[in-house]
Amino acid sequence: MGQHRFLLYNPRFARARSPGLKHALTLAAACLACALAAAGPAMGSVEPKVVRMAFRTAEAGFDPQRIFDRYSVGVCENLFEPLLTYDYLARPVRLVPLTAEAVPQPEEGGTRYTFRIRPGILFADDPAFKGQKRELVAKDIEYSIKRFRDPRNASPYEWLFEHKVLGLDEFAAAAKKAGRPDYDAKVAGLEVRDRYTISIKLTEPDFNFLYVLAMPNVVPVAREVIEAYGEDTMAHPVGTGPFVLKEWVRRSKIVLERNPNHRGYELDPRWADPADEFDRAAVDALRGKRLPLVDRVEIYPIEEEQPRFLAFVNREHDLLDETPSDFIEQVLPNGRLAPSLARQGVAVFREEAPEITYDVFNVEDAVVGGYGPEKVALRRALVLAHDRGQEIFIVRKGQAMAAQSPLPPGIVGYDPAFRTTQQDHDPARAKALLDLYGYVDRNGDGWRDQPDGRPLAIEYKYNAGSQSNRQLAELWVKSAAAIGVRMEAAAVQFIDLLNDKRVGKFQMAGSAWTADYPDAQNFLQLLYGPNTGQSNEARFRLDAFDRLYRQSVAVPDGPARNALYHEMNRLILAYAPWRLGVHRVFNHLQYPWVKGYKKHPILYTNFKYLDVDVAARKAAAR
Amino acid sequence: MSAVLPNNAPPAMQESPGLWTLAWRRLLNDRVGMVCLAIVATYLAMMLASYAGIVARDWNKEKGVSYANPSFMAGAENLEAREVTNKDFGSKAKPVDLSDIDPLAPRYKEWEERAAKIAVTEVKRAETLPFGGDKWGRDVLEKAIKGSEVSIFVGLTAALFATLIGTVLGAMAGYWGGRVNDFLEWFYNIFTSIPYILLILAFAAVFKRGLDTIIVILALTGWTGIYRLVRAEYIKHCGREYVKAAQAIGASHLSRMFVHILPNASHVILVQLSQHVVSFIKAEVILSFLGLGVPVDMVSWGTMLAEAQNELVIGKWWQLFAAGASMAILVTAFSMLTDSLRDALDPKLK
Amino acid sequence: MTAYVIRRMWQMIPTLAGVILLIFFLFNWVGGDPAQVLAGKISNPEQIANIRKQLGVDQPYWYQLWVFVQQVFTFDFGRSWSTNEEVSRILLTRVGPTLTIMVPVLLIETVLAVVFAIMVAYVRGSLTDRTIMVICTTAMSISFLVYIIFGQWLFGFILGWFPVQGWSESYWRNLTTYAPLPIMLAIFVGLAPQLRLYRSFFLEEINQDYVRTARAKGLPEKKVMMKHVLRNALIPILTNVGIYLPSVFVGSFLLEVFFSIPGLGREIVTAVNRSDFPVIKAVTVYLAMLTMIVNLLVDVMYKLVDPRVSFK
Repeated sequence: MGQHRFLLYNPRFARARSPGLKHALTLAAACLACALAAAGPAMGSVEPKVVRMAFRTAEAGFDPQRIFDRYSVGVCENLFEPLLTYDYLARPVRLVPLTAEAVPQPEEGGTRYTFRIRPGILFADDPAFKGQKRELVAKDIEYSIKRFRDPRNASPYEWLFEHKVLGLDEFAAAAKKAGRPDYDAKVAGLEVRDRYTISIKLTEPDFNFLYVLAMPNVVPVAREVIEAYGEDTMAHPVGTGPFVLKEWVRRSKIVLERNPNHRGYELDPRWADPADEFDRAAVDALRGKRLPLVDRVEIYPIEEEQPRFLAFVNREHDLLDETPSDFIEQVLPNGRLAPSLARQGVAVFREEAPEITYDVFNVEDAVVGGYGPEKVALRRALVLAHDRGQEIFIVRKGQAMAAQSPLPPGIVGYDPAFRTTQQDHDPARAKALLDLYGYVDRNGDGWRDQPDGRPLAIEYKYNAGSQSNRQLAELWVKSAAAIGVRMEAAAVQFIDLLNDKRVGKFQMAGSAWTADYPDAQNFLQLLYGPNTGQSNEARFRLDAFDRLYRQSVAVPDGPARNALYHEMNRLILAYAPWRLGVHRVFNHLQYPWVKGYKKHPILYTNFKYLDVDVAARKAAAR
Repeated sequence: MSAVLPNNAPPAMQESPGLWTLAWRRLLNDRVGMVCLAIVATYLAMMLASYAGIVARDWNKEKGVSYANPSFMAGAENLEAREVTNKDFGSKAKPVDLSDIDPLAPRYKEWEERAAKIAVTEVKRAETLPFGGDKWGRDVLEKAIKGSEVSIFVGLTAALFATLIGTVLGAMAGYWGGRVNDFLEWFYNIFTSIPYILLILAFAAVFKRGLDTIIVILALTGWTGIYRLVRAEYIKHCGREYVKAAQAIGASHLSRMFVHILPNASHVILVQLSQHVVSFIKAEVILSFLGLGVPVDMVSWGTMLAEAQNELVIGKWWQLFAAGASMAILVTAFSMLTDSLRDALDPKLK
Repeated sequence: MTAYVIRRMWQMIPTLAGVILLIFFLFNWVGGDPAQVLAGKISNPEQIANIRKQLGVDQPYWYQLWVFVQQVFTFDFGRSWSTNEEVSRILLTRVGPTLTIMVPVLLIETVLAVVFAIMVAYVRGSLTDRTIMVICTTAMSISFLVYIIFGQWLFGFILGWFPVQGWSESYWRNLTTYAPLPIMLAIFVGLAPQLRLYRSFFLEEINQDYVRTARAKGLPEKKVMMKHVLRNALIPILTNVGIYLPSVFVGSFLLEVFFSIPGLGREIVTAVNRSDFPVIKAVTVYLAMLTMIVNLLVDVMYKLVDPRVSFK
C-alpha cells in the first residue's frame, strides 16, 4: 500500500484510544470545570448531551442586527427566532412559520405582508427583564427592523431595508441627522395592529420579501436588553431561540446551552424524502420528540486546517464542518468513504452549496472594461484561457462544480438545463479570439499587446491571507501566460481588497457570494447597474440587463420570471463581466453518535435538530 | 557595506595591519569552517546559477501529476493524481445559444476557423519526479533550488540593508556622541522596547504585500543589534591615537568615520552581517506563512513550507522535507561559518 | 539608588513618546481604511462614511494622535473593531493562556540550558562539546514552523500522546493535557540558542583572572565551576532572561495558532489579518512599557548583584 495510506492504517485511527485521551474525553463530556472534581460524581446523574465542533473562521459577535459573517449568524440561528424559517428536511427549501402563526400571503400586489405572532413565546431570562418573564410581541419586530437603520449600529445588512419599507427611509434620514433614531417615531410601513400583529407595507412589490423575514439575523431582540447593554450587545444576545449563550471566549470558544424558557419544537416529517438516508435517519431519531435534545453545544473557531481536521479524526470533535479539500483523499479516497472511517460509522453529508466563486472584471477599466466587441473579446478570451479543470481538480480536489451561470443549484430560478461552453477551458479558441481582434504581439517581447499597440498587462488582485486564494492567483497567471497574455498577481490585504473592489480600483479580482435567501435575485443583483459602488463590483451597467432585472423583481416566482432570469444569464455570458468559477461542494462529517444530522443550504447550523447517543460515544471511546 | 571587504589593504590599517590576512589564515586552518564555507559557497553558486537560468529554469513547468511520487517511491499509490478534465462539466444539455445578443456574433465563423487551425498539445504528465511533485505537479527539487534564490536574496539584501542602517547610525552615534548620540539612542530605545516579533507583526499589519516589503520590514526592524555594537566600537576607537593623528593631518569627519575607523570595526560588522542573514532567512518563512510577500510566480522556502502545511497529513512529506532540509543545511553551515569567522577575527574569544 | 531609579523612569518618557509616535505613524498613517471590513456584504459610500465617523478615522491627524495618547494613559483603547470587545478585556483574558505555555517554557528552558551549558563548558573543546554545539546549531536551523507541523502530526496524531489541539477553563487540565506538547516544541526550539549563548557566558567567566587564581589555589575544577563560574555567569544569564521576558507574551503565536490556544499571540495574528488596529496598538504600547520596566528592573538587579557596577 502507498505511503499516503499511513493515516488510514494508523493503528490509533481504528483501535483503542490512549488512556490519557479517554480521560480527557470523559471530562469534556461531563463538562466539568475542575479536573479533580470530575473523577467521581458523574455516576448517578444523567450525562448531558454535548456536541462539539469547529468553525473554520472566527466569529464577530451575536447582535443580530450588527453582524454579517456566516459563523456569527450561524450562532444567532440558535439564540433567536425569525418570524419564518425553513423546513429542516424539505428540498427545495420551503418557508414555514416559526414565531408567526402562518406564512402570510402577499397583499396589495406584493406590497403588504401581515404577520400574527403566536402568543406565549418567551425570551430567555436576563437581568434586563428584572425577574419578569418577557413575552415576544409585535413591537419587538418593529423595533428590530428599525435597528437595521440605526446609524449607530452600522448594520451590514442595512441594504435589506433600504428603499423597501414605506416611511423607513425617512426614519433613517431623521436618525442620521440627529445621530440617533427616535425609536418611538411611527413608521407608516411598520404597522403594529395589536399586541401580536404587525403588517409591513413596502414601497414597491417584492415577492422575495418573505425570505428576508426568514433570515437568521432578521430576528426580534428586546428593546430593554439592547438598551441595558449599550455597546455590549454583541456579547449579550437575548432571544427566544432554543439555546442561550452560556460562555463566550471571543475567537476561541462559544458555548450554547438549552434555553429553559423555550417552548420546544417538533420535527415535521411531511417533507422528508423517503429515498434519502439522512432524511430517514433524522425522522427515525427525532419523530415525536420534543426538540431540542442537545443540552450543550461547544464551538471552537480553528482557522488552521491541520488541527481542525485532526481534532475530528481524534474524536475531540463530533462534527467536522466542511472537510478541508486538502484532506479529501483521506476521507473520500476515490470518492468513497475511507474504510477506517466507515468502520467507525462516520457519515459524510455532501452539500452542493448555494454559492458561487467568480472573478470580477472591472468593466469601467480602460483595458479589461468596455462593451465594444474588441473589449468583450479580451474578457471572453481570458475566460476561455482560464484552466477551470485545474481549479476544480487541483485547487479544490474535485470538490466543486463548474458554474454554468451565476446561479447555484438549490435556489429558486436555477435551471439545470442551462449550459454554456463559453466558460470552458479552451486555449485554442481564446488565442483565435485575441488574434481576431488584434491582441497580438506587436513589440516582439513575446507577450500580446493591445490592438492600438500599447502593451497589455493585467493585474489580478487577491487576498494575501489565504493559501487557496494564492493558488487561484497562480492559476490565473499561468493560464494567461499560456495564451500569451501577461498577468500579474498582486497580493493585497483583505481590507484593501474589499475597498479596491468597492471603489473600482482594480482590473481583476477574486470574489464569492453565498445566498442570503434562496432566490436568483440575490445573485443577479450583483450585476445590476444601480448597485455599482455597492455589491456590483464589476461596475457592470448594461441597460438590457437592468431592464430585465427591474421586471423580474415585480413578478412572482413562475415561468415568466424564469424566462427573465434566462435572458439575464445569457447577457452575462455574452458580455463576461465575470469569469464564472465554481459552486463548491462541502463534505460534512459526523460520528455515528450524532443523530438527526442534515445540512440546510441556507441555515448554517442544525443543533436544534441533533441528538447525541451518549452511550454510543462512550462505547466508542473505550 | 561593499566597501568593507576590499578595504583591507588601504592605508587605514594602522592598528592591526594583518588582521584580515591573519584571520584568513586562521580560517583556513579551521576545518569545520572551511566545510561550511564550501557549503555556503555551493548554495550561493546554486543561487546564481538558478538566477542565470542554468539550473531549475523550468521549475514552474508542470511536469508530473499532482503530488507525483518521488522516483524512489515509484510504486506507491497516489490518490491525489486525479484526471483533470475540462469539458462537459454541466449536464449533457445543448449549450445555450448567444448569437442574437453576442457582440462577437458577427465574427463567429472567422473565430471558429482560426481556432480550428491552432493546435493545442497535451503534455504528458509523469507519474514520478526525482524528489516528488507538488500540488500542481511541479518538481519539488527544482522548486527548492529556485526557492533558494529568493530566500537567500531576501536574507542577504535585508541583512545588507539592516547592516547599512545599523552601521551608519552606530557610527554617527559613536563618533559624534552628544546630541546625535542622544537622539539615536532614543531611536534605538523605541525599536528595542517593542518585542521583535511584535514589531514585525505591526509592520506586517499595515504594509502592502511584496518581496520588497519583506526586505523593508526585516531591515527596518533588524538594525538595532548592529547599531549597538558598531556604536560601541566607534566609542572605543574615537579616542585612539590613529584617529587623532588622522585629525591632525586634516582628515574630514566623514573620512575619519568611514575611511579610518570603519575598517577597524569591520570584523564586528561582518560577523553581524552573517548572523543577520541567518535570522532573516528564518524570518522569511514566518512572514510567508502569514501571507506576506513573495509573489505567486516566485517560490521561496517560506512559501514552500506554507504550501506544505497540510501535506504531511496526506502523506506527501517531500515538499516539507525538501524546503525544510535545504534551509536547515544552509542555515547550519552559515551559522557555523559565522562562528568560525568570529573565532578567526577575534581570537581572544575562544 | 532611588535617585538612579527616578532618573531612569524619567528617561522612559521620551522613549514612550517615541513608541507612541511610531505606532501612530504605522497605524493611523500607513495603515488601510478599516471601514470596509465592517461594512458587510453590501454597503453604500454613506454607510462607509458613517463607520469612519464612528471609528474616528475621519478626524484630523493631530486629533487622532491626541485620542491615542489619551487611550494609552487611561488604559482605555476602546473596542476591537471586529468583535466590539473592549480591548483591555481582550488583553486581560488572553494573557493567561499565553503565560500558561510560556512560563513553563521559560523556566524549563533556562534551567536545562544552564545545566547543559555548564556541562558543555566543563568539557569545553572536547569532542562532546563540539558535537553538542553542532547539534544545537542544526536544531536552530530548522524552522519553527516545521517543528510545529511535524510535532503536531507525530505526537498528537500518529503517536497520540497528546490531544492535537484544544484548551479548557481549568488551569490544571490545560497544564497537564493541552499545554505539554506546545511547551515541549517550544523548548525544542528555544533550548539550542540559549545553550549556545550560556556556554559563551561560562567560557567568558572561565577565562577571567579570578578563576585562574582559584584554580591556582588548588581548588578542584568542579568546585571552581560551581562556585565561581556559575555564580558569576548567572548575572548575564539573568539579564538575558530579563530581556527575553517581554517577548514571552507574543512569542508563542505560531503555537497558539496551531494548537488553538486562546492566547495573546493568536489574538494578534487574527488582529493583523483582520486589520483590527486597536488590538495591535494596545498590545504594542503596553508591551513596550513592560519592556522598559523590565529593563529597569534587570539593571537594578544587576547593580545589586554585581558590586563592580556602580550607580552612575
